[in-house]
Amino acid sequence: MEAKQRNKARVILHIDMNSFYASVEVAHNPTLKGKPVAIAGNAKERRGVIVTCSYEARAYGVHATMPVWEALKKCPNLILMEPNFDLYREASMNMFEILRQYSDLVEPVSIDEGYLDITDHYGEIGAVEYAKSIQKDILNRLHLPSSIGIAPNKFLAKTASDMKKPMGIFILRKRDVPEVLWHLPASKMHGIGDKTAEKLSSVGVYTIGDLANFDVKILTQLLGVNGTRLKDHANGIDHRVVDPESIYDFKSIGNSTTLPRDITNQQELYTILDRLSEKVASRLEYKELMATKLHITIRYKDRKTYNRGCTLENPLDKSKDISEVARVLFQKNWDGSAVRLLGVTAGEVIERSSASKQLDLFTFSNDEKTVHLEEAISSLKEKYGEGILQKGIKKEANLTENSFSKDFLRQKKE
Amino acid sequence: MKIIIQRDRLIQGVNDCLRAITSRTTLAILTNIKLSVEKNGLILTGSDSDISIETFIPAEEAGDEIIEIKQTGSICLKASLFSEIIKKLPQDTVELEVKENYLTTIKSGKSEFKINGLNANDYPQLPTVEKDNGYSIPVDLLKTIIKQTVYAVATTETRPILTGVNWVIEDGKLTCAATDSHRLSKKVIPFITKEQKINIIIPGKSLEELSKILIDSAESVEIFFTKNQVLFKSKNIMFYSRLLEGIYPDIERLIPPDTKTTIVLNTKDFLKSIDRASILARENRTNTVLFTSNNEMIEISSFTPEVGNVVEDIQASQFNGENLKISFNARYVIDALRTIDDEETIIRFTGIMRPFVLKGAGDDSITQLILPVRTV
Repeated sequence: MEAKQRNKARVILHIDMNSFYASVEVAHNPTLKGKPVAIAGNAKERRGVIVTCSYEARAYGVHATMPVWEALKKCPNLILMEPNFDLYREASMNMFEILRQYSDLVEPVSIDEGYLDITDHYGEIGAVEYAKSIQKDILNRLHLPSSIGIAPNKFLAKTASDMKKPMGIFILRKRDVPEVLWHLPASKMHGIGDKTAEKLSSVGVYTIGDLANFDVKILTQLLGVNGTRLKDHANGIDHRVVDPESIYDFKSIGNSTTLPRDITNQQELYTILDRLSEKVASRLEYKELMATKLHITIRYKDRKTYNRGCTLENPLDKSKDISEVARVLFQKNWDGSAVRLLGVTAGEVIERSSASKQLDLFTFSNDEKTVHLEEAISSLKEKYGEGILQKGIKKEANLTENSFSKDFLRQKKE
Repeated sequence: MKIIIQRDRLIQGVNDCLRAITSRTTLAILTNIKLSVEKNGLILTGSDSDISIETFIPAEEAGDEIIEIKQTGSICLKASLFSEIIKKLPQDTVELEVKENYLTTIKSGKSEFKINGLNANDYPQLPTVEKDNGYSIPVDLLKTIIKQTVYAVATTETRPILTGVNWVIEDGKLTCAATDSHRLSKKVIPFITKEQKINIIIPGKSLEELSKILIDSAESVEIFFTKNQVLFKSKNIMFYSRLLEGIYPDIERLIPPDTKTTIVLNTKDFLKSIDRASILARENRTNTVLFTSNNEMIEISSFTPEVGNVVEDIQASQFNGENLKISFNARYVIDALRTIDDEETIIRFTGIMRPFVLKGAGDDSITQLILPVRTV
């Protein structure tokens, strides 16, 4: 399939749902239509910020990441809502279901965006009409607006979907790149964050055009392999294929939290690490995965951020084990000053069914007991059917906002 | 302090001390090497506070003059600097002289260095160890028992006590044991014991360094124990190591008494077979090899998804008990077999989720225990 996708000139769509959470709320409750709606997390704490808002709210100057108090100042009649993830998840699944009716090559990227390879599907009506009918279909059936970028590759499609919002359709051909993109600052390009932009400006690269024509050797020295890739993108070149399976290539599972205030008390920080470990563990459990590496993230008051990790002796998925390692990593790497954000990430996760375990001289008898138990369970299941015994785990209980968007997309396969 | 010394002997002595010196130390003076000239020779000292090494270079040896002592005294010099300087000096002899304010001149031929030293009195005192009532052991034997056990110590600090080797001296034997909780190595040798039982834990790192510093010979090393230090004393080297505090797990209780399957294999053939299988096993995380018995016919195999698989048969010379299928880390078995000198190795299995034991067929002095890998 990959070879096939590579050989022919492709037509790729990038679908980006417009202010997805807010739109879903409006679709769910039509009385909100035409009103300024915003979704925000806990308003009392520092992370109480706007997650997304409707275009009506944007007209007042409200935007995502804005603190709630500031948003209310700009738009006093703003309708604030707590996120309802079940609702968004359902809408997202329906949305991707519609997309799959238009192509078998659908690659979900997150809850509200995805790529479609329609090369073999648009047929006689042409790619633009095909995209229009997808957009209409989603609007008619789900009452959700979207923007679609049409291009020969993923990078350009993603860039194009950003060009016209809401309900836009934008075609970006490779030959249009110099005219449409090159005058834009490099930081506007997908894949270039603040840090990369800073590095680029240090060598005199300010616009996407500068990047497109810059010496690839220097870029590689500056940014590693990413340098070549970014230069290609700036020239409208991107060879990545639309891969419906990519969402299943989970390599890491992490949770982080911005602390309600800067904390220096070790015990408090430990408690937060424990809580994060618990979240990571329950996500691993939910997906039947185990971590073979563990990382922690420490961001200090001065915003300096450190990632430190280790390879685990045995794959882990239990909250207690994860927090134990997380605490050790923290203790080794914390400089004692005020912490603003903490994170725990399970790296290079493997499927639990393929995880082997090096037994331990001091604990092997516990493993022996577990095996006996598992054998007993499977023989019961054989006798009385699958439903006879279930683990007492409340699935999804701990899925958190920031992680949830990707997790649920994988759900279908499990 | 003023001496003229043969350069190669000085380099040798400094090199030995350098094994204890690290740049990562909390005590700045420990990045120095201490030189102290007495009437009969030069004592060099290096330490990282865990390990301390003292080497003695005699003024005269077998009628040859090694050091011409003009004035006794002592000084501390930056170890990395001093060692590099003396290695690069042009002539076979070096003149060292300490002048005012610890300024030290190092002369050799037409080259002259002047470096700032530190007051030797500021160098920490080495642990005091009573040098009587010691134990004696030949260097060769000491190095062998270190080699056969130290590889099994834990490399992570999860259980600090397991980073050491447990030495127990009682009832006419010395028992050395190390385990990282995945495998265990135990060596027992006859030993002249004294009334008091000795049960200590020596850091694995110390034993590794000790082994490197001792020159293979039939000479003996004297060992002295205190509550928290051990001293190994050879002719010209004193090697001190801190001991690990705590109680080492009871080894005898960890070695399973029962047996389900006993297999005797040619040590070299088995080792080579596992070594070959580990070429592919290395590609998976736990380095897992599968061992399947069909009476005397043993199949060694390994499978790594997306890489490939390997299968080979070896013939056991004896087989008793139940057939079994067990997975283990190839590395651990290779390490264990390398300590076995016998032509044949006896393996005792006690269950697929339980430790198995390897021993030389005609040698009871060494016991290797390995925990299997649980595969799903």
